[in-house]
Amino acid sequence: MQHFKGLGRIGLAMLLVGLISAGLLTAMPTQASAQQKTIKYGTMHPLTGAYAVLGRDQMRATEMAVEEWNAKGGVLGHKIIWVHRDDELKGNVAIRRAKELVEEEKCDFIGGTLSGSISLAMNEFACKTKTPYVAYCMSDMVLGSDQCEYGAAFMVVPYAASLAVAQYAFKNVGKKWFAITADYRWGHSLLEGWLWQSQQMGGQFLGNVYVPLGTTDFSTYYAKVLAAKPDFIVMNNLGADQTAAIKQASELGLTKNIKIFCTKTAQHTIKELGPAYNENVIGGMSFYYKLRDKYPGAKKFVDKFMKKYGAPPEQDGECGYVATNILFMAIEKAGTVSDKKKIMEAMQDIKYQLTKGPEYLRGCDRQRVQSYVLVKGKGAKAKGWDLADIVAEIPGDKIIMSCEDNAKKLPFINIKLPK
Amino acid sequence: MFEIPWNVIAMQFFFGIALGCIFVLLSSGMSIIFGLLDVVNFAHGTFAMLGAYAVFVVISLSGSFVVGLVSAVVIVGIIGMIVEFLFLKPLYGKDPLLPLLLTFGLSVAIPDLIKIIFGLIGKPVNYPEALSGTLMLGSVIIPGYRLFIILFTLVALISLWLFLKRSDLGMIIRASTRDSLMVQTLGINVSRIWTFGFGLGVGLAALAGAIAAPMMSATPDMGVDMTMTAFVVTVVGGLGSLGGAIVGGLLIGLVVAFTAFVAGEYSSVSMYFCMALILLVRPRGLFGEQGRE
Repeated sequence: MQHFKGLGRIGLAMLLVGLISAGLLTAMPTQASAQQKTIKYGTMHPLTGAYAVLGRDQMRATEMAVEEWNAKGGVLGHKIIWVHRDDELKGNVAIRRAKELVEEEKCDFIGGTLSGSISLAMNEFACKTKTPYVAYCMSDMVLGSDQCEYGAAFMVVPYAASLAVAQYAFKNVGKKWFAITADYRWGHSLLEGWLWQSQQMGGQFLGNVYVPLGTTDFSTYYAKVLAAKPDFIVMNNLGADQTAAIKQASELGLTKNIKIFCTKTAQHTIKELGPAYNENVIGGMSFYYKLRDKYPGAKKFVDKFMKKYGAPPEQDGECGYVATNILFMAIEKAGTVSDKKKIMEAMQDIKYQLTKGPEYLRGCDRQRVQSYVLVKGKGAKAKGWDLADIVAEIPGDKIIMSCEDNAKKLPFINIKLPK
Repeated sequence: MFEIPWNVIAMQFFFGIALGCIFVLLSSGMSIIFGLLDVVNFAHGTFAMLGAYAVFVVISLSGSFVVGLVSAVVIVGIIGMIVEFLFLKPLYGKDPLLPLLLTFGLSVAIPDLIKIIFGLIGKPVNYPEALSGTLMLGSVIIPGYRLFIILFTLVALISLWLFLKRSDLGMIIRASTRDSLMVQTLGINVSRIWTFGFGLGVGLAALAGAIAAPMMSATPDMGVDMTMTAFVVTVVGGLGSLGGAIVGGLLIGLVVAFTAFVAGEYSSVSMYFCMALILLVRPRGLFGEQGRE
């Protein structure tokens, strides 16, 4: 009482005004947000670590897709709020981040990741929490018991990349091959694909070396390769490992005499390698920016991305862009933002043409059926982002197994990997 | 299956020696730092990474690979001396954990700084045309650049030996590793010796990074594995022993090379197995001193 006596009437009035204002200020946003409907989309990407370049591309392309949808009023009248996290390309971190996105951020939908093994964990999490998940990476999540009605995969299945590159290699180069394979699940999946395609096309498998992730000196593996005398070498690796492998292959003169096929490659790898990524090095990608010369959708996407970010998008960015678009298209098709099961059902067999030719998300396993592109390096002639030329685009239907086979992991489950 | 000819074994041996030379430079630097300062430098690989970027920048400006190599040592050596003077020196005489934590912090902060300055995409470092190509010794293929690595490392080590053995400053550095208090008592500013020694140590790491850069590109995160390798080789050779660094480096290089040949998936861990084996038999390392385990 003594305190209030001290305040006086004017002081008390000011206090009351302040309290009322505070109440109004906190009330207003709630009223505003109640008027503005929103949905929340959370994504994860490796923004630190060795694959940060690709993770950043995924993030940028997602941002672009979300902006485009919000510019036309959101989805079903709901503004899209997008949040993202760094999964550091680590499984335990990714699961923590996924929980943050769903439980703390209250995301309605989740997407992203670059690692196939993380996507499996995310897929499992999505199934448990019944949160639709769109995977941006090469993933085995559509195979066998890993399938789940709340997960959809938007890059090719690993084996599909192998089939595409192998079909080209056996047809155009030769039959004898030797592989260098990153020693983890993704690398093994690629090798399985190669071994199967080799059996189909009369290939002669000469051998394989498993190389731990993060290896910087490949010269110690090339002696074995040289002794085998293959027609071509297969690189089942990516990123810094691939950069070191090709650089050292070039150092040994291998890139002058033997063709090298990179089952999956990346623009920034080609840029880093410069002259070493020459005409004898052919890499596979699910998207290469020069497709803009062929597809109007690609031109629109690439030109906008380049204008916004100063560089053409990697395949990982394109994948994120398509995945985000398809998610929102499915929400529109389902006519609901809250019935997640209905949204996933609407995603099945959805047909579209966004960044390449006509594509669809296969209904039985929610796997995007898309083409795979092969590019040949330009070596010393590369300038700016003109790093490689497209030599082939393998149609999606030629490199994906049937629904029944995928469900049983056939035929690759029968492939015995070399020790 | 194909047979393994003797020339392939010879090539593998050669590759192992070349790889070992990079390890030797790395661990020599770490040995000097530990011998002189008793500091475990968790940022050693980070300085190697700085060497790779330094050679990239200098080659871009000057067009000369040799100038790039020498500049990498000088530039990173100076950076190392500044780091020692500003950050490490205040920690001497305090908890021995503090310098370790500091260098660990540097190993995280410096790569992030490099990413901000140079971006996330690695930088290609190319050696001169004269070093490209391969030589044939009978039926053994010898890449020109690997031969250069071996010869250059030999020259660097001889220079280091001559400096440490024949120069006054080298003599003071050697004396300081034995008994810095005695050296101080003789009126020599040991503090400056420590600063120089740290700069020399990281300069050697930078040389390792600069030499390795053409093989793998300069990337911000390339230092992580290099730090671990430096630790392994230094422990195998014996803490604070330069001779041990040389023998340890070459040994580990050969172990990794031949493991890659026989069982590629174990090549990365083979150096740790080797370290464990040696420590079981000789805990102080091959050339380490008693009491310094």
